[in-house]
Amino acid sequence: MQLLALQHYLAIGAILFVIGLIGFITRRNMIVIFLCTELMFQGVIINLVAFSRYTNNLAGQAFVIFILVIAASEASLALGLVILLFRTKNTLDADAWRELKW
Amino acid sequence: MLGFLSTLQPADAGTGLYLIAPTVILILCVAGGVGTFLLLPGRKQSPRLGALLLIIAGLIFGLILFRTVVGQASSDTGPYFWIFSAIAVVGAIRVITHSRPVYSALYFVLTVFATAGLFILMYAEFIAAALVLIYAGAILITYVFVIMLAASAQTVGDRSPLAGLAECDIQSREPFTAACVGFALMGVLLFVIFDKAERLAQFNFTPPAAGLSADELVHGSTQSIGQYLFQNQMVNFELAGLILTVSMVGAIVIARRKVADINQRFEPSIETISANATPVNDDPRSIPVYGTTNPKQKSFPQT
Amino acid sequence: MDALFAVKHSYLIPLLPLIGAIIAGAFGAKFLRGNSHWPIWIGVAISAVMSLSLLFGMVGFWHEGKPLNIVVDWYTWIEAGSFKATAGCFFDSLTAVMLCVVTGIGFLITVYAAGYMKGEEVYFRFFAYLGLFIFSMTCLVMGNNFIMLYLGWEGVGLCSYLLIGYYYERPSAVAAAKKAFLVNRIGDFGFGLGVMLIFLTFGTVSYFGTGVGTHTGVLELATLPLDQLSQIPGVNTSWVPMAMKWTPFLLMLGAFGKSAQFPLYVWLPDAMEGPTPVSALIHAATMVTAGVYMIARCGTLFVSNGAAMTTIAAIGAFTALLAATIALRQFDLKKVFAYSTISQLGFMFVGVGCLAPVAGVFHLVTHAFFKALLFLSSGVVMHAMSGELDMRKMSGLKRVLPKTHIFMLVGCLALSGFPLFSGFFSKDEIVAAAFGRSTFLGVVMLFTAFLTAYYTFRLYFRVFRGPLMVPHPPHDDHSHGSHDHHEEHHNHEPTLMMLPLALLTIGALLAGYFNFPTAHLGDFLGTSPSLTASYEMAVEHTVAVPHLAEGYGQVAEAGAHEPMISGLMVFSGLISIAGIFAAYVLHLKNRRLDDKLAEDLGPLTRLLEAKYWVDEIYQAAIVNPLRALGEFSYRFDRWIIDMLVNMSGWICQLAGFFLKFTTQRGYLQGYGAAMLLGLAVILIMVFMH
Repeated sequence: MQLLALQHYLAIGAILFVIGLIGFITRRNMIVIFLCTELMFQGVIINLVAFSRYTNNLAGQAFVIFILVIAASEASLALGLVILLFRTKNTLDADAWRELKW
Repeated sequence: MLGFLSTLQPADAGTGLYLIAPTVILILCVAGGVGTFLLLPGRKQSPRLGALLLIIAGLIFGLILFRTVVGQASSDTGPYFWIFSAIAVVGAIRVITHSRPVYSALYFVLTVFATAGLFILMYAEFIAAALVLIYAGAILITYVFVIMLAASAQTVGDRSPLAGLAECDIQSREPFTAACVGFALMGVLLFVIFDKAERLAQFNFTPPAAGLSADELVHGSTQSIGQYLFQNQMVNFELAGLILTVSMVGAIVIARRKVADINQRFEPSIETISANATPVNDDPRSIPVYGTTNPKQKSFPQT
Repeated sequence: MDALFAVKHSYLIPLLPLIGAIIAGAFGAKFLRGNSHWPIWIGVAISAVMSLSLLFGMVGFWHEGKPLNIVVDWYTWIEAGSFKATAGCFFDSLTAVMLCVVTGIGFLITVYAAGYMKGEEVYFRFFAYLGLFIFSMTCLVMGNNFIMLYLGWEGVGLCSYLLIGYYYERPSAVAAAKKAFLVNRIGDFGFGLGVMLIFLTFGTVSYFGTGVGTHTGVLELATLPLDQLSQIPGVNTSWVPMAMKWTPFLLMLGAFGKSAQFPLYVWLPDAMEGPTPVSALIHAATMVTAGVYMIARCGTLFVSNGAAMTTIAAIGAFTALLAATIALRQFDLKKVFAYSTISQLGFMFVGVGCLAPVAGVFHLVTHAFFKALLFLSSGVVMHAMSGELDMRKMSGLKRVLPKTHIFMLVGCLALSGFPLFSGFFSKDEIVAAAFGRSTFLGVVMLFTAFLTAYYTFRLYFRVFRGPLMVPHPPHDDHSHGSHDHHEEHHNHEPTLMMLPLALLTIGALLAGYFNFPTAHLGDFLGTSPSLTASYEMAVEHTVAVPHLAEGYGQVAEAGAHEPMISGLMVFSGLISIAGIFAAYVLHLKNRRLDDKLAEDLGPLTRLLEAKYWVDEIYQAAIVNPLRALGEFSYRFDRWIIDMLVNMSGWICQLAGFFLKFTTQRGYLQGYGAAMLLGLAVILIMVFMH
């Protein structure tokens, strides 16, 4: 029965992850796409911390620290690239980048 | 952890009951999917109906979850778990469905706060704090700044409630496919999570409250995490610092690209031009020089 | 060189013409050119000499009382499981007679052809084919098993095709060659089935196996009763009754195809497109007689089946009458003789069908002589008239071609059955045999003899008698090389062509005396084991026919022969004279009477001139439906089957196109969505089984 509490957290994590996923696929604004990436990170973090807590293994939380590091660096680089892309085509529309087609 | 994952392979199911029946998950996922689809910005957007569907699905799911919890020890979180979860999910939905990117960012901040609250419930307060500091404090601010930077040059739409929005924000790409795929995935995940009880009984999950050491109860998780990091994960820690440095340098390099004019619009084009290879009438300007926009032509020596 | 030499080196008889053909074919184009006839002459001459020595030797043996019947195997040709066919020959009186006819007349015709085809551009080709033909024909008559027979059968069919289509630039010649081959093929199909049936029933294809009297060959096994047959391994006894019923019909089909009987005779008149020596050799003297030879040889397979014999006789008589009536209104010289050949072949078939193979073979021999003579004379006429063959356009050629006139006259008299010429004796024997079988048949044959005399002399009187009328040389005569007939003093009767004609004339005069007054030929042929065995079977199985022993040459004691001069003989002589007289009246005395008669009998004339529309009926009933089927199949194949095949390609292209436009749009998120879809599917499959 105690397991249930873990599963609640896992469920929340899964829901957040999937919502972020849907947004990532759907939205056309490049910045919002990366924002949804961060949302996926949230889901993952919840999962990690929940497992860490419920199995008394601090590795999960340490991993979360590293995830934050990566998220930060990735956000900065990604936003830099988004700015550059924006300058090229003067639009934030991800659909403008279509050259890699058949 | 990997051991746990490997046991999730489908084996012969026992006669035990599912914690939550797969059919219920399926129905809820379908409802949720439809609701999300209706909420996403696009032609078929009907926010009221979508919101209604989602709220109903979420409430039902919450109720089911609540029923599985009733009457046992780890309800020491009280109502806060449900509140924080609801805020997190609603915030996440608004992140992806709102038309204006600034609002998406702000709703994301809200989600982050709710997640931090969940962490505090799990006695992981350091992580909660770190989340708020780094995510809400640094990353999201950067996002908001970039949104403001980039939004300045976008075209203005004609519709009054959506004035000032670019077309890319109003219309989303294939919301139906995305909703289907996403909620199918969610169905699988939830199914696996709420799988049969005896399969999960082999793992030794203890509730957070019971698993805390005495030290932690006094000093909090910060100390234990710090000890763990600096004792067991020293190399990773240093590498993390290195990564930060590298990304900082990279960001500066990327952002340093000089552009002639911020208002300049240049259209990249791939043209093939066939032109003279030898001067016509000895005029050096008759041979175009490619690769630069420099209108200065090379002058040929007079022979 | 004596008979034993011929027997010991029997392989030379077919081999030498073949080698001559190969030499002529290989070296004729560049080296031999106008001399391409020499290899053939030498080869065929040696074969002829050997055949003659063999014949004389065998006659000698026969007079001593020990007739020679010997099986000679050269080598094992095919051996596959239980099927064994050797390459070898069988010598008996029948073979000897046929060999002499084939090689002798063949040699004379090759001599003639050297003169006839002189100046042709592709000279060597003709002689190479001729050599090949002689090889095939000798294999046919010499072979000691059905497979050698079949080899020769097909070989002569092939050579007939090659030689008819010799002038291949002429579409009519090409069509005629195709027609000959295809109609022959229909007969050969039946023949092949017959041979297969024989093998399956008797377990062997050899005529006499290891030797005469050993009962190891098909022809002797067929004589044995069933209880004796069941003791012989390899014989499928349960099949024997069925085989004995059906084999005659199957083999007969082949004979009808090869020997141009109804309904497979339509190729022979068209075959006149070939050069005249070809018509003489193949379509008069040798190839078309293969059917008669085969029935005489395989008599034991035929006689027990009364229905088969009746069919042979009936078809033979019908064809004879049919062809004779058609010949009444033909104006082309060679066509008249072609239909005459069909008619005379009908006579031969009546002979063998009425249980008188001696009469059939006798007529075969005499017919070979005078028909070859007639054809070759027509060739001379044709050359002289610059390729013109229509008898309405020429007349009174007696003055222009005196020697040819004599030869032609002898030939015509022989063909008509004028008393004391060769045709008279042989035809009379056949008519006698026909009367022995059925009076109606005899009357039909007599009437046909009357018509034969009439149309033969119609031709003679038209062409050689009467006022002189020579056709103008046509301008586009490319058909016979670079002969120029424009000079008056050109020799129309070169020696090379006259010499064989003279020899053939002597033959046409004297060949009848082979069997008259004493039945030398008959008795000689009767020593052949084929005829002996057939006679015995005929005595057992069939209704008693008068002169059966005569018909098979089995008269034991000398002096027990039928009286040679009988009422029938006199009557048939009168018939032929009557025919000649009728021709004289209508075609020499008052030619306009003939035209008036033709007009009065308008519909009948049209029927005859249209050859009973048989060709048209075949075209409409068989050829056109087949062609339509071919067209339909072609269209079906092209549009439906190919379309299906192409469609499979298009479908792939369409699928690719479709996929291209849906999945490879270039949107990054689209790719991501597709990946996630796949992931979701996999996860569902793995975790939610």
